[in-house]
Amino acid sequence: MNMNLLAVAPEVIVVVAVVALLMIDVQWRPGPVWWAIAAAMGIAGATAAVALQWVDYRGADAASFFSDMIAIDGFGAFAGMVIFPLAGLGLMAAWPLIRSQGGRGAEFVVLVLIAATGAHLMAAAANLIMLFVGLEVFSISLYVLAGFTRERVDADEAALKYFLLGAVASAIFLYGIALVYASTGTTSIGGIATYLRSTILLRPGVLMAGMAMLLVGLAFKVSAAPFHMWAPDVYQGAPGGVTGFLAAGAKVAGFAAMARVLAVALGGRIDDWAPAVAVLAAVSIVLGTLLALVQSDLKRMLAYSSVAHAGFILTALVAGANGIPDMWFYVATYAVQVLAAFTVASVVSGATQGRAPLSDYTGLASRSPWLAGMLGLLMLAMAGIPLTAGFVGKAAVFRSAIDADYLWLVIVGVVSAVAGLFFYLRVIVLMYMQAADEESGHIPVPGGARVVLVAVGVLTVLIGVVPWPLLTWLRDALPL
Amino acid sequence: MIINQFLVLAALLFSIGIYGVLVRRNAVLVLLSIELMLTAVNINLVAFGSYIQDTLRSGQVFALFVITVAAAEVGIGLAIVVLVFRNRASANVDELDLMRW
Repeated sequence: MNMNLLAVAPEVIVVVAVVALLMIDVQWRPGPVWWAIAAAMGIAGATAAVALQWVDYRGADAASFFSDMIAIDGFGAFAGMVIFPLAGLGLMAAWPLIRSQGGRGAEFVVLVLIAATGAHLMAAAANLIMLFVGLEVFSISLYVLAGFTRERVDADEAALKYFLLGAVASAIFLYGIALVYASTGTTSIGGIATYLRSTILLRPGVLMAGMAMLLVGLAFKVSAAPFHMWAPDVYQGAPGGVTGFLAAGAKVAGFAAMARVLAVALGGRIDDWAPAVAVLAAVSIVLGTLLALVQSDLKRMLAYSSVAHAGFILTALVAGANGIPDMWFYVATYAVQVLAAFTVASVVSGATQGRAPLSDYTGLASRSPWLAGMLGLLMLAMAGIPLTAGFVGKAAVFRSAIDADYLWLVIVGVVSAVAGLFFYLRVIVLMYMQAADEESGHIPVPGGARVVLVAVGVLTVLIGVVPWPLLTWLRDALPL
Repeated sequence: MIINQFLVLAALLFSIGIYGVLVRRNAVLVLLSIELMLTAVNINLVAFGSYIQDTLRSGQVFALFVITVAAAEVGIGLAIVVLVFRNRASANVDELDLMRW
């Protein structure tokens, strides 16, 4: 068995931080400062470990370890470099919520760290068993986070809906794995890929059924229509401070798993699954955009817009492994944007509150010009206005789809992106061109949220203006 | 070795589970139906693992993982159901209608 501790170093570091935090919290009840220190050390250590993986193993040096269970490759390392800092930003944005929960705040920090570990396991898995374990570690943590403010009924409702639908999706995903295992004789992702490339299946029915079930399970996790039903309810009901990490993390982890399973394990069968992915993408883009148009709650609107964004990301995946760098560009830039957008929602409408009615944002520009400017920038980036990262991302995924001869999908995407402008700009109009209510005053922005917003704002504009370094870099973010 | 009977049993269990998830109103019974679906997967995994004579025993190992994860999942699930029941004095999934559309 070839072992390489670097392969599990990110997970080990985070888990050590988590266990230390839990034990210290039980013994001494040290308070939020120490939670922050433990979380910061865990996240910094894990980020350093994945950066080391990136430096040593990207491109041709990729390899898998621990009986072919975990891979170190550019793909997993880049996923880690997105996920762990994302968890850090998520914690910073959620800090007011964490403090408001009293002694239970430590649990929140622990759950976010564990979720990040699960997400990275999903991305670095070289075996479907590992991928499933990562998926469950990630999902179960998020179910709890969604209902973290125990006494609020809409958060409970969000948690139960997320849990029930998520568990059903996991079961369907598992059945798919069982069928793929039956037809290929292995659960190793590389093994499945080799088998499918070297063998002509006389009766591929079992494999087809398995592929379909895998696709359904993963489409649910990334909230692609028609498996998006949970997303609006969960995003709206979950506490403001949670939603950002929940939405961003689910996209990163879900698409990492999707790329591993579809583009790598089932890469030899791309002609079978690509049309299905294209249809999923088109339905997600159109349905997400149309439903976002009619929402009256910012968080719900962002949820439907995240369904549309899932469709745009799927657009890159129809190109198979060739689309992975473009998929990563979109996923990474969108994840930080959606985290920041939900952070604004949690600042304006309350970190423990679920709902964020758009009326809260009327005339925000005169009350809190800084917040309104940030939300405006994020809306423009999500709409895909040039000079923001959102524009480059859309251009990149469309290029992938054109290279794969899916011109119709690109046309659907472009038309919907233009229609989507309407609801993004509506928020800006609401903030800048309508008068505020008289009783509402200036909104104080907590320090953590301030850091998140500035960091994301700078990144979004910087990557939008000079995207080439990241795009070149991502050519190495390929799976084993 | 003939594995048809195992596969039929698994498919039936899985279908019964999906049916239960769709028609049951009580959250605890929905949870039980999900467990049925996971059990069906376990039967499949073990049957396939034995049928293809996998030297790594991936099927059996995977079944063990599924059992463990399912236990963790049902633990969290029941906790959430209890939470909802405390706040609403009901675990009826039809009454979870604060947020729609």
